[in-house]
Amino acid sequence: MALQDDIQIYEKRRVLYVVIGLVFVIFLGRLFQLQMFYSDEYGKKSEENSIRVIPREPIRGYIYDRNGVRVVDNRPSFTVTVMPYEFDRRKLGFIARVLSLDTTFIRARIKQGEEYSRFAPVKIKRDIDFRELSVLEENRDRLPGVDYQVESKRWYVTPARASHILGYTKEISENQIRALGGEYTQGDVVGSSGLEGGYESSLRGRKGAEFSTVNVRGQVVGGFESGKLDVQAVDGKDLALTMDFGLQAFAESLMAGRRGAVVALDPRDGGVLAMVSSPDYDLSVFSGVTPPQIWRAMNSDAERPLFNRATLTRYPPGSTFKMVLAIAALETGKVTPQWRVNCGGSFRLGNKVFKDLHVHGSVDMLSAIQHSCNVYFYQLMLKTGLDEWAYYGRELGFGMLTGIDIAEENPGLLPSTAFMNRRYGPTGWTRGFLPSLGIGQGELGVTPLQMAAYAMVLANWGDYHQPHAVQGFRRRSDGKVDTLAFQSRRLSVAIPTWAIVREGMRRAVELPGGTGGLAKIKGIEVAGKTGTAQNPHGPDHAWFVGFAPFDDPRIAICVLVENAGFGGSHAAPVAGKCMERYLFGPQGATPPPKAIPRPAVTETAQQTPPMAGGE
Amino acid sequence: MLNYIQRHFDLQIGIASFLLALIGLVSVYSATYDARASDIFFKQLVWSGAGTIVVLTLTLFPFRLLQTISIPAWLFSLLLLVVVLLLGKTVSGSTSWFNLGSFRIQPSEFAKITTVLALASYLSRSDVSLRNPRDLMLATGIVLAPVALIMMQPDFGTAVIYGGMAFAIMYWGGASQFSLLAVVAPGAAAVAALFGTTPFLIVVAVMGVLIYLTKEHRLVAAVVFSIMVLVGISVQFIYDGLRPYQQKRIDTFLDPGADPLGAGYNILQSKVAIGSGGVFGKGYLHGSQTQLNFIPEQWTDFIFCVPGEEFGFMGAATVLLLFAVFLMRGVTLASKVKSKYASFVAIGLTATIATHVFINIGMALGLFPVIGVPLPFLSYGGSSLLSNAAMVGILMNLYTNRKEY
Repeated sequence: MALQDDIQIYEKRRVLYVVIGLVFVIFLGRLFQLQMFYSDEYGKKSEENSIRVIPREPIRGYIYDRNGVRVVDNRPSFTVTVMPYEFDRRKLGFIARVLSLDTTFIRARIKQGEEYSRFAPVKIKRDIDFRELSVLEENRDRLPGVDYQVESKRWYVTPARASHILGYTKEISENQIRALGGEYTQGDVVGSSGLEGGYESSLRGRKGAEFSTVNVRGQVVGGFESGKLDVQAVDGKDLALTMDFGLQAFAESLMAGRRGAVVALDPRDGGVLAMVSSPDYDLSVFSGVTPPQIWRAMNSDAERPLFNRATLTRYPPGSTFKMVLAIAALETGKVTPQWRVNCGGSFRLGNKVFKDLHVHGSVDMLSAIQHSCNVYFYQLMLKTGLDEWAYYGRELGFGMLTGIDIAEENPGLLPSTAFMNRRYGPTGWTRGFLPSLGIGQGELGVTPLQMAAYAMVLANWGDYHQPHAVQGFRRRSDGKVDTLAFQSRRLSVAIPTWAIVREGMRRAVELPGGTGGLAKIKGIEVAGKTGTAQNPHGPDHAWFVGFAPFDDPRIAICVLVENAGFGGSHAAPVAGKCMERYLFGPQGATPPPKAIPRPAVTETAQQTPPMAGGE
Repeated sequence: MLNYIQRHFDLQIGIASFLLALIGLVSVYSATYDARASDIFFKQLVWSGAGTIVVLTLTLFPFRLLQTISIPAWLFSLLLLVVVLLLGKTVSGSTSWFNLGSFRIQPSEFAKITTVLALASYLSRSDVSLRNPRDLMLATGIVLAPVALIMMQPDFGTAVIYGGMAFAIMYWGGASQFSLLAVVAPGAAAVAALFGTTPFLIVVAVMGVLIYLTKEHRLVAAVVFSIMVLVGISVQFIYDGLRPYQQKRIDTFLDPGADPLGAGYNILQSKVAIGSGGVFGKGYLHGSQTQLNFIPEQWTDFIFCVPGEEFGFMGAATVLLLFAVFLMRGVTLASKVKSKYASFVAIGLTATIATHVFINIGMALGLFPVIGVPLPFLSYGGSSLLSNAAMVGILMNLYTNRKEY
């Protein structure tokens, strides 16, 4: 290099020669070591014997409900495998006949597996029955390379189905193998929906491996380096749920034959007590091999049984949403609880007429919630404003994911000024859009899960706990649960505001003339709100949100019955029965343990004048 | 006649790479013998023919024009990398391919060459010095731009290659010991941090002493030192934020034994294959490990096992020797050429090949962790073979034009 000092360049060149030379000396030394010193050892391993890895499958974690009852178990099942290298292809037809499989299917499977290794067994059919097993066993000598391994398959030991919340496991697809990285191989089972999907990484455990030496004919002749390299399989972690499977089964029985969802939460921590999406399906269909025709039938069923209505469906909530507006109006100081509206059965804005079901006369906030007076809320919406309403809607968890610990969830839709401008253009919409939103109609979408979380916040005076179905991981050794942490946040809404809306909800169920009377439970005070959501495609959807007992809520619930009609007549009774079942147990005779009142909260509630009168 | 050829063509580089490519063809044939041999071997044969044309074309390419197109070619390869990120095909979890009929093209292979050319072109300007911090930063930018795009694919192996190449060029260009340390320190700290707190502290201490010994201005030294510590600490947070399968990939990189079904298995089988070859090997097409496909995808990253097993120490040592000749010659060439540009190109290309060879053979011999890097000239793969051919062509071109300033 002309421009640089030659001496410097030669110096650097010498350094590089030395570096290159050194690396090659090390490589040659290593070659010498492997090929001269250890060649006998390696030669033996290779010429007569070779090393093979036999995967050891971990046991998938069990699932327990909140009472420590095991609800998801494993059963052994036999899986037929074929090792491409040893398999005699002339036996293809025989195998296909015995296992009632297609020869092209088996051929494709073997080809796929071969790309990875000709020595890795390829799973051909999972969960074979006893007849198939015995035919294979009889013909074992004539079927080189054909073997079976014991795997575990899911076994459901609960009267409840809980299909959507538990979720199913399925054989991994090519795309998933690519997406999930090296941990999975062909034929592995992977949790695909619900908790099986959400907690896949904990439930599956870790595969182990056993090294053994095989001869050139592929027969195992022994271990390798006395098992030093073997890796034990680590079983999956067991889940302890917050769910009550007694309540789950009961709620499922109530929803049988209807389309809709029930979500019940523990208002004290956000734990899911029950989650029903109806119609549902039988999870055990998926635990072995799912015949393609069953898959097709489920996927094309107009009732969509695979769809989790509890977390994915998005409907306007109807009148159940009125408390959002009441909170926004009180918190922003737009009205006082004493503010009155005269309801003449309809409300006119410009040339548009908004209807009500009844003529309610002069109503204040409490009676407007109790009787679900639309005219009151049309006017309240105009007084409060879209963005104030949307702000408190967001605070209460609408228009966003709840963060529940299963994967499938819809954020819903909560319009704001920004949204309306985007959707219709700044001049494309008017105040005329607002009254409908005020009664939970129009461009508003919520999921039953969001509604249950909303009932939870109303029940516990403003604590939003992230809904979750898993308490934590249950230790095998002593059955204790290592609890998982979930998020909580406190809404900045004043206690008197909560007191008003809660009292309105109590009156809606407990007082004559309230719309939610069918949710009443003997001996316990219930609070709730009904909703009837208009549906352009058919009959109205019936909604109910509520909680009980009123003074010390232990269950918050949302019920949605699609195309049923009035919330008060179709959703409220389901909610009432579920809460009764949870609080009193299956007999309905055992009274709940004495409630411990929350001092700060109840005192304030009693001090607030307008509601004391109702008691 | 021979004299004339010797004066105009670099026979050492030409013959060494030709022989290596030949051994490669022979090995690929053996590794894929009986399975889907015809397909893979045939493709490699076609690529080899194309490679020969590339070598000849680039050897006879006008030297001045090469220098002129260096920066534009680099920009073009950056564009290709962006396009592949947007449209590319994903192979084993990494998006780095274009489809061209039944052949696939990997732009990151060509970006290696254009980066060397661009860096050489920049550093050979008379007003640029690696001692000047501003110039040093720009030079680093020329390397980091493609590396950033490649890491997004993600392709860890190729990114490491760039590191080796850039380090060699900076060393050659007279960067101070301090700037070399400044380049190495954060990387070393990051890797050490993944191994644990103690290795991290040791690396920080060693690097700290080395930085101190360079007698660099205290403030500058403190900045470099803090960057190193910060990078090391943030690696832990980044690691915690990764998805489990991404963490697992890193764990396997650090400790292949932790994944006996994947990387650990390959290393073990590779050692058995090479070790069992003995002095003279088991004979062509008679290597039981190779023929029984114990090593998955052996024709790509683990191709070195084939000569190791079937031709034994003699075969493997021959391959090593040919690479040693090639690399030594590359360094010699870099010191002989008159043009500063040519000198940088020669050292950059030689370092690129060297990093591939060191990592790949080190891995096959069980000395290095498993990083997916092909062995130049031997591994199956069109993009890799063509880019190696281009490097050979350019190196021979530099020799032919060694007297040009």
